[in-house]
Amino acid sequence: MAKWYELQGAENDVIISTKVAIARNVKGYNFTIKLNSEEKYEIADKIDEILDKKLPGKFVSTPMNEVGRDLQISLAEQNLVTPEFVSYAEGRTLVTTEDQSLSIMVCEEDHLKIQSLLPGLELEKAYELSNTLDTLLDEDLEFAFDKKLGYLTQCPTNIGTAMRASVTLQLPALSMRGQIPKLASMVSKLGLVLSGAYGEADNPVGSLFQLSNQVTLGISEQAAIDNLKSISLSIVEQERAFRKDLMNSLKFQDIFWRSFGTLKNARVISFGEFMESMAIIKVGVATGEVEVPCEKLNELIFTMQPATLNVAYGQSLDRGIRDAKRAEAIRNVFE
Amino acid sequence: MLCQNCGNAEATTHIKRIINGEAMEIHLCYNCAEHLGYANMFSGFGFNISNMLQNFFPEFTRALPSLDQSERCPTCGTSFEEVVRTGMMGCADCYSVFYEKLKPSLSRIHGRATHVGKSGAYQIESTVSPKLEDTVAKLKAELDEAVKVQNFELAAKLRDEIKALEGGANNG
Repeated sequence: MAKWYELQGAENDVIISTKVAIARNVKGYNFTIKLNSEEKYEIADKIDEILDKKLPGKFVSTPMNEVGRDLQISLAEQNLVTPEFVSYAEGRTLVTTEDQSLSIMVCEEDHLKIQSLLPGLELEKAYELSNTLDTLLDEDLEFAFDKKLGYLTQCPTNIGTAMRASVTLQLPALSMRGQIPKLASMVSKLGLVLSGAYGEADNPVGSLFQLSNQVTLGISEQAAIDNLKSISLSIVEQERAFRKDLMNSLKFQDIFWRSFGTLKNARVISFGEFMESMAIIKVGVATGEVEVPCEKLNELIFTMQPATLNVAYGQSLDRGIRDAKRAEAIRNVFE
Repeated sequence: MLCQNCGNAEATTHIKRIINGEAMEIHLCYNCAEHLGYANMFSGFGFNISNMLQNFFPEFTRALPSLDQSERCPTCGTSFEEVVRTGMMGCADCYSVFYEKLKPSLSRIHGRATHVGKSGAYQIESTVSPKLEDTVAKLKAELDEAVKVQNFELAAKLRDEIKALEGGANNG
């Protein structure tokens, strides 16, 4: 079955994916920090039971300590779980639909993190998915809630809606023109936070950034989503304008065509080089003169990382072999 | 350990990341974490809110052993010192047990906001919202209304009531 990232999403020349996560805790249990493994698995069992009854056959439940290290890392590479979730597997369970667009991390920081993942900018749809599952589980589980403080979470920063919506944006033109710090400070005044999505904190790989809502108390889910959406769209417009401008310069055109050549022809390529070249290629979309397969390239972000390649080939590949397999998959996209 | 970004300050925020197929940790100081946009725990970056709480309650980080051990959450046994140290609540009841102490830091994080948006399927009254606060708010609204319609007799009565309630709260 196709994974969520193989679907088509809106604004996918700039926006890679959308994620809406809702944290919930089951009433009658202490928070995760105070639970032992048995209690954690008890919560996972309850969730399984409800889902089996209400949505039979739709979800698969996987205790993290029953899967290999490569698969654990691969799940994090695909943005399905947090690196924190796989840093310690005991007591943690991943419940997910087959296409992985809807899932629950059980006993990460909170008892449940209900999350939906969709390609491109799909905030309403992603919220609807998470929200529906939340409502359905709440009927049987009863989540910790207080009229004044909203949904209660282990960490006080998340109380209220306990919802974190985020979009992953690829902003090569704004990055090259040194606009990111300005952008980050602007969005923080609007209740959002912009941070690097992959790799080192101060130098995100492939100019990938994550934009998410910071405030969870005193703002409704809908208002938070509307706010995030309108700011995302305005960043998309800015990025496109800067891309057009960049493509006017001969110097950048040279960089663009060299990167295009790299992806089209390389026989061996690291994930980092792929991401950098891909970011540059995205700039060319703006002029409409070159056909750039955005959808397929975005998909490769999730399938071409090291551990995910190992999983796909069923073995721990040597780095050299992995880089060759990656180059081959990328060349296929341009055929 | 020093911050990997500025190399000057002590690293207090530890962000878990997957880089080249390996789980790694990036260590940042409080300022760099905030500056780089990692002061957001929920997105799974592992930002430790205890940094923030410890800034709010410096007395707890300075004199740990001398803490009053008596105040614990009856449900999960978590002490307030633990909350400050870990940045985590032990259970849902901790919110009502430690509400008064947490109020300043909660309003630093969230403002003076009250929850709006989705409600749980099982509606219950707030356990943290002190009745007094609600009563005063209600009386103040009535006072505004009385002034608006120039019913000064009622306004004076309401003002005295509010004063008495607020005075009682401050003294108690």
